[in-house]
Amino acid sequence: MTDPTSPGSQRDWNALSDDEFRQEAASFFAQQVPAHLKFLSRRPRWAEVRDWYLTLSRHGWLVPAWPVEHGGMGLSQSKALVYVEELERSGAPRVMDQGLMNLGPVLIARGTEEQRRRFLPKILSGEHTWCQGYSEPNAGSDLASLRTEARIEGDEFVINGQKIWTSVAFDATHMFALVRTDKSVKKQAGISFVMIDMKQPGVTVRPIRNIAGHEELCEVFLDDVRTPLVNLVGELNGGWQVAKALLGFERVWSGSPRQSTLALLRLQRFAQATGKMADPVFRDRYTQITMDVLDAASAYERFAQIMRTGGSFGFEVSMLKIWATETCQRVTELLVEAAGDLGGLSGEVDVEGDSMDILYPFLDCRAFTIYGGSSQVQRNILAKNVLDLPS
Amino acid sequence: MSTQASSTMADSDAEQLTMLRESAMDVVQRGANMKHLRERRGTLPGYDPAYLRQMAELGWLGLLVPEAHGGLGLGLTEMAALLQELGKGLMADPLPAVALATRVLVHCPQWAGAGGHLAALARGEALPAVAWQEGLGGIDPAAISTAAKPEGTGWRLSGRKRFVVGAAGAAGFIVSARNADACGLFWISKDAPGLSLEHEWRADQTPIGVLALDGVAVAAADVISAPGGHGLQGLQRAIDETAVLASAEMLGVMEASLQMTLAYLRTRVQFGQPIGSFQALQHKAADLYVQQELVRAVLQDALRGLAPGQDALTAASVASRCKARASDAGLRTLREVIQLHGAIGYTDEHDAGLYLKRALALSAWLGNASAHRARFAALQEQSATS
Repeated sequence: MTDPTSPGSQRDWNALSDDEFRQEAASFFAQQVPAHLKFLSRRPRWAEVRDWYLTLSRHGWLVPAWPVEHGGMGLSQSKALVYVEELERSGAPRVMDQGLMNLGPVLIARGTEEQRRRFLPKILSGEHTWCQGYSEPNAGSDLASLRTEARIEGDEFVINGQKIWTSVAFDATHMFALVRTDKSVKKQAGISFVMIDMKQPGVTVRPIRNIAGHEELCEVFLDDVRTPLVNLVGELNGGWQVAKALLGFERVWSGSPRQSTLALLRLQRFAQATGKMADPVFRDRYTQITMDVLDAASAYERFAQIMRTGGSFGFEVSMLKIWATETCQRVTELLVEAAGDLGGLSGEVDVEGDSMDILYPFLDCRAFTIYGGSSQVQRNILAKNVLDLPS
Repeated sequence: MSTQASSTMADSDAEQLTMLRESAMDVVQRGANMKHLRERRGTLPGYDPAYLRQMAELGWLGLLVPEAHGGLGLGLTEMAALLQELGKGLMADPLPAVALATRVLVHCPQWAGAGGHLAALARGEALPAVAWQEGLGGIDPAAISTAAKPEGTGWRLSGRKRFVVGAAGAAGFIVSARNADACGLFWISKDAPGLSLEHEWRADQTPIGVLALDGVAVAAADVISAPGGHGLQGLQRAIDETAVLASAEMLGVMEASLQMTLAYLRTRVQFGQPIGSFQALQHKAADLYVQQELVRAVLQDALRGLAPGQDALTAASVASRCKARASDAGLRTLREVIQLHGAIGYTDEHDAGLYLKRALALSAWLGNASAHRARFAALQEQSATS
């Protein structure tokens, strides 16, 4: 097993076969994930998961996909996928991952040497935690119409505006954001990608309670917030390209069947507790939705396989997110329906001696078809870019 | 060394698959003729005999036949690719029926007659058809009542078989029948005394046979598998495999009809603009694309699941999942294809209806979506208790 004194990042993981690496990953996570953090039904606060984050970092297991020279594991695409699958399987909690998943890769691909030197080590040490400032009150599906403005004063940007739906901004020390730096050109052409220190006057974070009762999303108000010009990533007014380059892995990941599979397990647990499987109407619907989830897994596997073999794909991957997220919603809808009177009760309720929250999955997954490009936006993408329909 | 050898083998497999696809695309491009297809509706045997000879020459009839018996010795993946391409031009028949019979024979190697029949079908000289269903149909091959009574060294069969695809052009039949305990498989020539053949018509107006067996004698040499032998198991496996192949043809039918519809949406102008610019229709088309890609993904999984070495329960489950998705998605797609074409799609003169009817026939054949969902549920239960 990995010795804490010899960081895992120094091992040549790619010398292993995918199966061998899977075993290594499974056994590492099985040993290291703290029991009290496994399979949480909510996203934990930074204070709760910081130690786990640092454990990963200490062992060199924090970032699968970054190159070894930057402190990552340097995994091939296929092993990075194995890493994520095993992490999920272990029930590990979600950590502050915007720096790991999004900013890090952007800096490695498009940042300056100076930016990499300043920011990457502090992501690894947990000193910096990042949030993503993209959406605004009037820029949701139409993200490019964003209005948060950055004007140049001396060697600084002065930023004014409002970001919204920013996940876990209250636990972030820094934000990477898309801001408008030129109002005179086509909307996509006047956007820049900047990094902002959240610990300064003018930054106000206000949590938003969601319909599931959790506070994870935030509003972030930016009033005369300052950031040095050297915190610009990519070209001035080239931010749209920087953000778009991030979408590849994320689009596959958002189409993963993991959420549907978890929801299905809950439905199965409910059906077993209540004897609902004996009801032929329920059983038929349960079978149908089970097959929908398995088909979602087949579709995911097809794209994962393309990634594993180093291939690439385009906009057709939008079909994954549509099917995975809408299937997940149908699973949770069937649970509420099958629960009958219990489907009208909030919080943990008694189900024949078992305690379950019937409504939580239903409420939680309303967001899946909205964020990361809503189901409607995904259909627009397919229609225009894959099916070549006119606009 | 061994990795190198296997990767070279994988490359040559992929190359062969590409060549097969290309040759099928070429045949479809030259040969698809909806006028002739319309003229053949309601006639026997339901396909052009010249096309059958062409299929034999190209090696397609014997694609699944082992090389030892004069076939190409290729696998289900290759046959699926071929049927998918031919499905685009509504040119698959009589290959699906031949594939079913071939797989039954391949799964019954202990029968001395198998080799001769495989060789004859590969040459296109004598096609077999499988008569396994009765009454209202259904996908359980053991749910039959055709009786097999021992007589001397052979058997005598009485009963009525239905839904016999490929019967019209068949030289003989692989017939399932049972005694009190178990099912067996028997070879019956089309000229056997006591056998009479009639036809019903599938949704696409191709014939589907009804066999009446009135005390038909089966010699010992024509017993493929006596009741209690492995025949039923082989038949079940062949049905699963062919259900997956039918799903591949359905995928081709879906792809061609979606492409046809997209072309229409781009060019049909109403309210001063192409109707394909309307978001309501774009989203409908996007949903059909999602279904098409699901079928492609599940088909790929099913072909992997049916590969040698996979366990039987997994293979059966993924085959049912595949046929359920293909049947469902195929019918949904073709219903929407008619709707998206508007009034012209409702006419017999438009090709949309031809694709719809092939989808209807394929959806029902070897178990529709409901049938396979029910079976999938039963298999899940079986795997939970085993």
